[in-house]
Amino acid sequence: MLELQNLSRHFGGVKAVDQLDLNVIRGEILGLIGPNGSGKSTTVNLITGVYQPTTGALRFKGQDLTDLAPHQRTELGIARTFQNIRLFGHLTVWQNLWAARVVRDRGWSGFRERWLSGAKAAREQAEELLVFGDLAHKRDHLAANLAFGEQRRLELIRAAASGAELLLLDEPAAGMNAEEIADLDQRIRRLRDQGRTILLIEHHMELVMEVCDRVVVLNFGRKIAEGSPAQVQRDEAVRSAYLGADHHA
Amino acid sequence: MDFYLGLAQVIGIHTLLGLSAWCVLHTGQVSIAQGGFFAIGAYVAGMLTSMWGWPLGLALLAGAILSGIVAVAVGFPALRIKGLMLVVATTAFAEIVRLVFFNLTWRVQTPAGLVGPDGSLGFGGIRYFPGNGWSMLEISFLIWFLVAFVMLFLGWLDRSRVGTLWRAVGEDELAAQSAGINLTAAKVSAFGVGGCIAGLAGGVFAHYATHIEHNNFGILLATFAIAYPIIGGLSSLAGTLLAVIFIQGILLEGLRFLGDWRSLLFGALIVVVMLVRPSGFLRRSLGESFGRTKHA
Amino acid sequence: MDFLYFLDLSQSIIDGVLFGAIYSLIGIGFTLIFGVMHKINLSYAAASIGAAYLSLLVVSAVPAPLVYVAAAMMGGLLGWLVYLICFRFLPLDNPLASLMSTVGMLLAIEELISHVTRGMPLNFPALFASTNIELGPYFIRGDLLFVFVLGCIAMVALMQLLKRTRLGLATRAVAQQPVAAQLCGMSVNATNASTFVIAGLLGGTAGAMAGAAIGVLSPLMTLPLTVKGLVVTVIGGLGSIPGAIVAGLIVGGVENLFQFLRGVSERDIYVMLMLFVFLVFRPGGLFAAPGGRD
Repeated sequence: MLELQNLSRHFGGVKAVDQLDLNVIRGEILGLIGPNGSGKSTTVNLITGVYQPTTGALRFKGQDLTDLAPHQRTELGIARTFQNIRLFGHLTVWQNLWAARVVRDRGWSGFRERWLSGAKAAREQAEELLVFGDLAHKRDHLAANLAFGEQRRLELIRAAASGAELLLLDEPAAGMNAEEIADLDQRIRRLRDQGRTILLIEHHMELVMEVCDRVVVLNFGRKIAEGSPAQVQRDEAVRSAYLGADHHA
Repeated sequence: MDFYLGLAQVIGIHTLLGLSAWCVLHTGQVSIAQGGFFAIGAYVAGMLTSMWGWPLGLALLAGAILSGIVAVAVGFPALRIKGLMLVVATTAFAEIVRLVFFNLTWRVQTPAGLVGPDGSLGFGGIRYFPGNGWSMLEISFLIWFLVAFVMLFLGWLDRSRVGTLWRAVGEDELAAQSAGINLTAAKVSAFGVGGCIAGLAGGVFAHYATHIEHNNFGILLATFAIAYPIIGGLSSLAGTLLAVIFIQGILLEGLRFLGDWRSLLFGALIVVVMLVRPSGFLRRSLGESFGRTKHA
Repeated sequence: MDFLYFLDLSQSIIDGVLFGAIYSLIGIGFTLIFGVMHKINLSYAAASIGAAYLSLLVVSAVPAPLVYVAAAMMGGLLGWLVYLICFRFLPLDNPLASLMSTVGMLLAIEELISHVTRGMPLNFPALFASTNIELGPYFIRGDLLFVFVLGCIAMVALMQLLKRTRLGLATRAVAQQPVAAQLCGMSVNATNASTFVIAGLLGGTAGAMAGAAIGVLSPLMTLPLTVKGLVVTVIGGLGSIPGAIVAGLIVGGVENLFQFLRGVSERDIYVMLMLFVFLVFRPGGLFAAPGGRD
């Protein structure tokens, strides 16, 4: 579904991402891990269009992404969450979702749906997402006033609200306790079962090993391992990269 | 009585100006350009009625539309400039407009004599109101009708999808982009709508004042324009209105007895207000109680 | 276009560039404050002119050169005051509030000057006003040259201050990472205040220079100086001191060039247009600052 070919991004002399080849298969949950500074967030930014690649190509559902602006990529079906939560703080929960739905209303079918049928279907879908995120009772609360866990859930459903087929989750488990992580695990699976594909960037090894079908490991911007969670765990290169930092995680 | 009507007229015009800035501020762009659009609307509408005998309604509309078009044209390069640089760029734009009108001389022969902008002497003879027998009361009604119309329009816009998108862009551009919002469309449209409203305000101002000149459209006016929504609180329309009433009505008129020291105290008062209540008079919760619901 | 015309043209430009040192200083002041606080102090130019006015208080008591020193010191004092009133107590994440506050301050200062002087322009001591140096076919006005040299001295002093003193180091540290700087024991408030004072010293000097170059001080000078100063800051790149220096000289020269070509009333249109062109093609300015985060 998503192909990164020989993708590189240099910042001056620093190669944040270096000749990366990555394929995300439709319907899978792919984990992207690596020590700090290995280029995970840069990769996400390249995919969403915040950065332009120095070299290499990006294709989504066969279409070249290079000339598309970020909002156009969202329109195509890629959405993301942010490591440091970036909600629209002074908008309500409902308005956060509603803002993200705007991509669905482009074009003729969008026009028909919005003006002629009173956006009924759109409202229903947004309501469903609210329920999915267990936020229905907070729909009129300002996003900035939510508890941390609730904010993370809102980020998640907001990304889903744009109708994305590919969700890029950037460290969604950061700052969560074990209970919240188990909850997150369930949600990710349900999102996938509803027909989406997920690219998960994470540091929490337990979560990655539990929920991902495949894992790709980066270090210094390069891919150093790829395979099933079990395979990657045993890989020599991966171990030396993490150098003893992960035996609790 | 006339005094109060005159005051009401000034408050009305300034409210329109403040509302135009409100739009643009919502998307997070701090723009001093409103003064420039105000000027364009004023000169265009004034010229149309006094030089070519257009009816008032059409002239005001033309002034608003032309200002809106210029605003959109300015909005595009403004996309590349963020934050405080935008303040400077829009200040420069406002100055350019003012200087252009300072140098503009274009007079035509009418039954009433030679009429038109006359360079540094300004543009006098915009006599639509007196010429057609409008009373002070009628003028006030017109102005406030327009204010009400614009407020209703903006209120509707704010409750609709457009308002949510504008606010989202103002909150966090990166998140908005990632959520699929077209930044260009949002920011330029806010600029355009703001420009139209400012142009409308300018057109009305020209007829109210009957004589306009470049000094009316300085940076200070544009700063007032953004001061109203900031002091009134960005989250509500009513706040802007309150701020105008407070500043124009209470401060400037009420302090009249202080004579020349008025402007000095005014400056000092702005400082004090900002210290005491930095997010403006009407914060979120108060704004809601004025009837603005929060549904999209 | 004959030789004489060209001579006059280039003479104008030279005069303008010399005058531009004033714009450079104001631009540096704006950029210094922006670099440290990420906010613009719109009252800066007004405070600078105000400082020059204040220095007139001592004009009868001290020899002329010391008046300039007095202006600088007054500028520093005013800078500290502005910091206290407009920035110290305002929440950091509300840039609009302090912007408005500085606007209020600008109004207040301008009005205060108008009141106290009853709107009459006051003479300012200009040194070397009657000397002219001949350089080939050009005349270099003594007073402008003095202003220019004074400006250069101020800039050099500033650079030394920033690069070689602990205060300068602290200023740069706080600009880049306020939280980390605090953790290293630097007081953010003290550093910010001192930045305002330093900028104020520069501004006071600039105000005096403006008075010297024009010969009089008038409250009407505040707004144009503010606008031109902002233009310089933006063209030079927000946060970049070398940029402000270069941009100030350019703006000074260009201003006079257009005045020569199109007259006083139209010249500012072109200066502003130049700003626009810059912003479209180089939004970061001449020397875009390496600037902290985001």
